[in-house]
Amino acid sequence: MTAKRALIAEDEPILSLTLQKMLEKLWPELQLCAVVENGVHAVQEALDKQPDILFLDIKMPGKTGLEVAQELAEEWPDDKAFPLIVYVTAYDEYAIEAFEHSASDYVLKPVTEERLTKTVQRLQARLADGVQRPNELDRVLEQLRHLVPGQALPGGNSSNQPAPERLRIIRAAVGNQIRMINVDDVLYFEATDKYINVVTREHSSLIRSSLRELLPQLDSSIFWQIHRSTVVNTLHIQVANKDDTGKITLKLKGSEDKLQVSRVYAHLFRQM
Amino acid sequence: MNNKPLLQLQTYLQSRLKPEHYQSLVGVIGDMPRLLAINLACGFAVTFVLRGGGTLFQNVLFSMFIGFSAYSLIKLFKRLFWGAGTPNTIAFYLMCVMVAPLALIVGMFIAALAFNYPLPDISKFKWSYMGSFVTLTCIVSLIAAWSFWSRAKISELQASAETEKAKNAAIEKQAMQAQLQMLQAQIEPHMLFNTLANLQGLIAIDPPRAQHMLAQLIVYLRNTLSSSRAEQTTLKQEFTLMQAYLELLAIRMGKRLQYTLDLPDDLQQTPIAPMLLQPLVENAIKHGLEPKMEGGSIHVVAEKQGSQLHLKVIDTGLGLPFNYDDSKNVSSAANNIGNANIRERLLALYGPQASLSLQANQPEGAIAHLNIPIKE
Repeated sequence: MTAKRALIAEDEPILSLTLQKMLEKLWPELQLCAVVENGVHAVQEALDKQPDILFLDIKMPGKTGLEVAQELAEEWPDDKAFPLIVYVTAYDEYAIEAFEHSASDYVLKPVTEERLTKTVQRLQARLADGVQRPNELDRVLEQLRHLVPGQALPGGNSSNQPAPERLRIIRAAVGNQIRMINVDDVLYFEATDKYINVVTREHSSLIRSSLRELLPQLDSSIFWQIHRSTVVNTLHIQVANKDDTGKITLKLKGSEDKLQVSRVYAHLFRQM
Repeated sequence: MNNKPLLQLQTYLQSRLKPEHYQSLVGVIGDMPRLLAINLACGFAVTFVLRGGGTLFQNVLFSMFIGFSAYSLIKLFKRLFWGAGTPNTIAFYLMCVMVAPLALIVGMFIAALAFNYPLPDISKFKWSYMGSFVTLTCIVSLIAAWSFWSRAKISELQASAETEKAKNAAIEKQAMQAQLQMLQAQIEPHMLFNTLANLQGLIAIDPPRAQHMLAQLIVYLRNTLSSSRAEQTTLKQEFTLMQAYLELLAIRMGKRLQYTLDLPDDLQQTPIAPMLLQPLVENAIKHGLEPKMEGGSIHVVAEKQGSQLHLKVIDTGLGLPFNYDDSKNVSSAANNIGNANIRERLLALYGPQASLSLQANQPEGAIAHLNIPIKE
């Protein structure tokens, strides 16, 4: 058996070092191919080094552990085995029931040796059992549907926080003007690094925000996330096309733009 | 007994009358049993003690009219002289004595007119005969006035005691809730577990730093507990608490967090309510610096501006949300959730002179301004 390779993503340096030391002790053959301290680097390094195992902290700057998993699920090359993911989470960062429910691997901080030993044993068993590996991506996609709030059920409010105020009008600065955009006229939102591109039939405008900030303010029965960086207004979708490889593309009414639906969200477009 | 028509009448009156009128009507009705008893007693007294002549029925009837007249006249004069206010005690009783003979004459006349008795001829009145009646009316009206007045006073006192009690209970409940919330907000399990996780790691890899971190945790916990129990704390204590809190975070976040605290010597003992500064610092960390990949710095500054204490929490974090509106008390933006709470507390503690505002920091991050009047 070739040596297995792992990535650790943890923003607190002492915790990262502690996990490294513990793993060295419990699994000396494991190679740490990358140790990163934010979500953005985690995605880059994982795609670059293609480790067998990812230890992902849930609460990290840049991207959360779940966002990292989601982005990797979208970007992972088809011909490579998807890594096994272990989420690392503090006491109340994330609903433990969600992890249990989705059958995801997770360890709680402070990480105890007993718990990590069990996790290591499970990982070793699954890595030795080569049959399961090809399905790992499907497994992770299924888990993410349970883990990422609001994604499993469009229209459902899965968090128990009070619903924030609905956004009706978007104010976008264009030169010296403020453009007032009715949310109903928006075809889709596309997130870039620090901005969101708000696209209507007539024009596109940038606002300084993130989807994480924007999504809770939109009506989730109409605005669906279809990619980590795209939210579409379903009332403006003309048709969803599926190609030979299973990739789904959306065609919009009265617009030339075509939108890609990522693997993570493909299930939203199955027929009723 | 069927109370239904009575209740219906009550609801009807309540709906038709102004509250103060309804209250006085209820007062008058409440006075009636006592008034009737006194009148009845007078009628008996005139018949059997004074032996003034006439049948018992006649005397009771006249007593009734005289009594009601006295009651109404005293009410009327009280209203005329003192309005809704409380009358001077001696003046009030003096007024009662003056009104008594008038009530006697008015009552007798009305009774005579109503029941067709021959009108008493005033010119034929002999003082020796009438004197005892006047004296009786004076004494009775004094006693009655005293009894009615103290009844009104007692019920008034009872009502105000009850309102006071309800008010106190509400305040106590609020205070308890606030204290609970404060405790919960201050020592988040999240903060505690993350700190413990770091401590656990440090004990194995760097024991001296573990010692240092533990010392900070102790200062943090001790100050948090003592300030959450107190209504007032000093800026010195709040800054000690912030120092420990920020040091704990600086150990956890490593080079991603720098901090400075600036408290001038002359403001060390300035009193401040707990849990005003801390949430602002926590917000700056939670929404500004922790989610920022490259991290940044936070400065907590206290300064005196005239009679105002000005606290600033300046960070170089992610900054305010795109749709943040400082004039809006409740916003959808996560950054603002705690602020409505702080503003409510500021208003309750210091009145409208205290304020909290957030603004963008240049070139990046946010500044929270907290203004509190200094009590000399």
